Amino acid sequence: MQLELNNIKKSFGEKEVLRGISFKAESGKAFGLLGRNGAGKTTTIRILMNVFPADEGKILIDGKPIDHKSIGIGYLPEERGLYPKKLIIDQLVYFAELKGMSARDAVKSIDYWLDRLGMTEYRNKRLDTLSKGNQQKIQLITALAHDPHIVILDEPFSGLDPVNAMLLKDVVKEQIAGGKIVLFSSHQMNYIEEFCDSIAIINKGEIAIGGELYDIKRNYVRDRLVISSTEAKRICAELGESCTMTEDGSILLRLPSPNEKGAMMRKLVERYDIDEMKVFEPSLGDIFVEYAGN
Amino acid sequence: MKQFGKILKFELVGYLKNKLFVGITVFLVVAIILGMHIPKLLSEIDIDDVTEDDIKIMLVHSDNEALMISVRDCFAEAFEQYEVKVSEEGEEYIKQQITDDQADCAFILESASSYVYYVNNLSMHDTNTATADAVLTELCKLNAMIEGGLTPEEAGEVLSVTVSGTTETLGKDQIQNFFYTYIMIFALYTVILLYGQMVATNVATEKSSRAMELLITSANPTSMMFGKVLASCIAGFSQLVLIFGTAILFFNINKEDFTNPLLASLFDIPVELFVYMIIFFILGFLIYAFMFGAVGSTASKLEDINTSVMPITFSFIAALMVVVFSMTSASVDNTLMIICSYFPLTSPMAMFTRIAMSTVKWYEIAISISILVGSTACIGLLSAKIYRVGVLLYGTPPKIGTLIKTVLKKND
Repeated sequence: MQLELNNIKKSFGEKEVLRGISFKAESGKAFGLLGRNGAGKTTTIRILMNVFPADEGKILIDGKPIDHKSIGIGYLPEERGLYPKKLIIDQLVYFAELKGMSARDAVKSIDYWLDRLGMTEYRNKRLDTLSKGNQQKIQLITALAHDPHIVILDEPFSGLDPVNAMLLKDVVKEQIAGGKIVLFSSHQMNYIEEFCDSIAIINKGEIAIGGELYDIKRNYVRDRLVISSTEAKRICAELGESCTMTEDGSILLRLPSPNEKGAMMRKLVERYDIDEMKVFEPSLGDIFVEYAGN
Repeated sequence: MKQFGKILKFELVGYLKNKLFVGITVFLVVAIILGMHIPKLLSEIDIDDVTEDDIKIMLVHSDNEALMISVRDCFAEAFEQYEVKVSEEGEEYIKQQITDDQADCAFILESASSYVYYVNNLSMHDTNTATADAVLTELCKLNAMIEGGLTPEEAGEVLSVTVSGTTETLGKDQIQNFFYTYIMIFALYTVILLYGQMVATNVATEKSSRAMELLITSANPTSMMFGKVLASCIAGFSQLVLIFGTAILFFNINKEDFTNPLLASLFDIPVELFVYMIIFFILGFLIYAFMFGAVGSTASKLEDINTSVMPITFSFIAALMVVVFSMTSASVDNTLMIICSYFPLTSPMAMFTRIAMSTVKWYEIAISISILVGSTACIGLLSAKIYRVGVLLYGTPPKIGTLIKTVLKKND
């Protein structure tokens, strides 16, 4: 199954929030939806979930307009919150029923997920008696219990301890392996890099860059060298402003042009005692800062 | 529709599991059961045992000794609850007696047609001067007739002539209907305001706890709004039925002990009026609950609720004031009441009062109910649209006028 957002535009009053968002996500893969706060991620998600319609553009499933009655969407919002004073089982069944499940199927599925996330003992407790991390796991069940086709996880790892984060990682991997379309929104770039094959960085309501993460990295301008040398200080002194020392003691050397890589490498090897030298590979964080930084 | 059913059930179960809701209902039912047994308990207590402490002292003084004696005799007959004593001493002594609690009240008479009444604290229910006026007027008439040549027996016969007459009420008896109408109006007022606030708080709680983030992505806003409002309507209506039902049941059980005709008249409500009560309760409840729900959706925090719902509460209080003033001034068919009985925000109380206490044509009732039904449906749909926009807005609550304009602009 393929989800495609095609030129989605949305304005609230005079404010243009989305200016033509387009991306594609596929079953069995995770898609990273990135952007700074207020970039338009939540609006995109809400349009996808039919909370309000887009002013322009289409949402397609396998090339046909999405039918929200037949396509299940599970959503873990960034702003967590359920009914603090109600029993966990009652509210989980309620949300599953709202998503179209029968009460019996809902209870069966919820019991599975409570067990899977180690939360069975809290089944008949009030939500406000749970820790923040455990409340988050309960909220995750609301996103997964009805076995949706599309799973949208907005900052799923925030507030989780390392053990719970590991548990959630396994769950996300299971969802991906189970053929779900997983839309992942997070500012924790390491998780995006770990799960997502494709990403889209939204900046001011537009896709600043999008596509396969591998391609984005490969196409990143390769005009910097990372050099490890015992003569680091000497190199920096002689090469001047184009050199910067990094925290681990290596040198980041910016070249006037990517074409000068080979010549510069040979020159450095001839002149200095070089331990290691490679072309700088940007992290997703570097890419994010570059495309969403202004 | 399926979602609406689920939301209705969830909200209704929420009310039934709410300890405050159940506690208040149980408390009121128990209080009514006890209250309905009071006449029986009172009838079993021997109220003829009057202790010495219960006898009050009334002093009578006049410089005219003959007048003083005849007034004492007349007053002793008229004021059964008092021991009427003649005081030989004058004003200062009498004042001292009253301030020292040696006497409860006193009359100092200059003549049979002029007196000063002394009492320490004048009660709101003190009717002694009215009784004294009646007694002294009779006395003056008697004396005049005797002076005119009639014998005391003849004069007594003239004064004791009584006129007998009966009233045939062709429309409504306002005296009899006043109390139960008053109670029903206040029940309507209390339940609508109480449950309306609960709807607003419920919506604002979902928004402030961010459960709304999930709800709006899981359910249709119209289903949510109608589900919530109808659930609170059913809860409120059930509570009223339980309370009034208990009162009627226990009144019928203890009917023989309700000797006070005024109290008994409270339960002599025509079935037709009950039907109108139900119609106006449901429609009045719905129209206000929809508005409360819409306003609740604009508040980001629970603290904002009181400010946000103030205009609705004020309009409802204004409706109550118009109705109550019209009732107490015995003019339920005045122009303002007629206008209010068609205006949807006031008609649940105003038209109901007019039906209960006056004669209203069937087509007037039909027009009023039709306007109310139409307005409730329109406000319900508008509220659902406001709710859809309102729940997504955080920060300072937007002006309701701006919100309505925004909602009406949208075609979706």
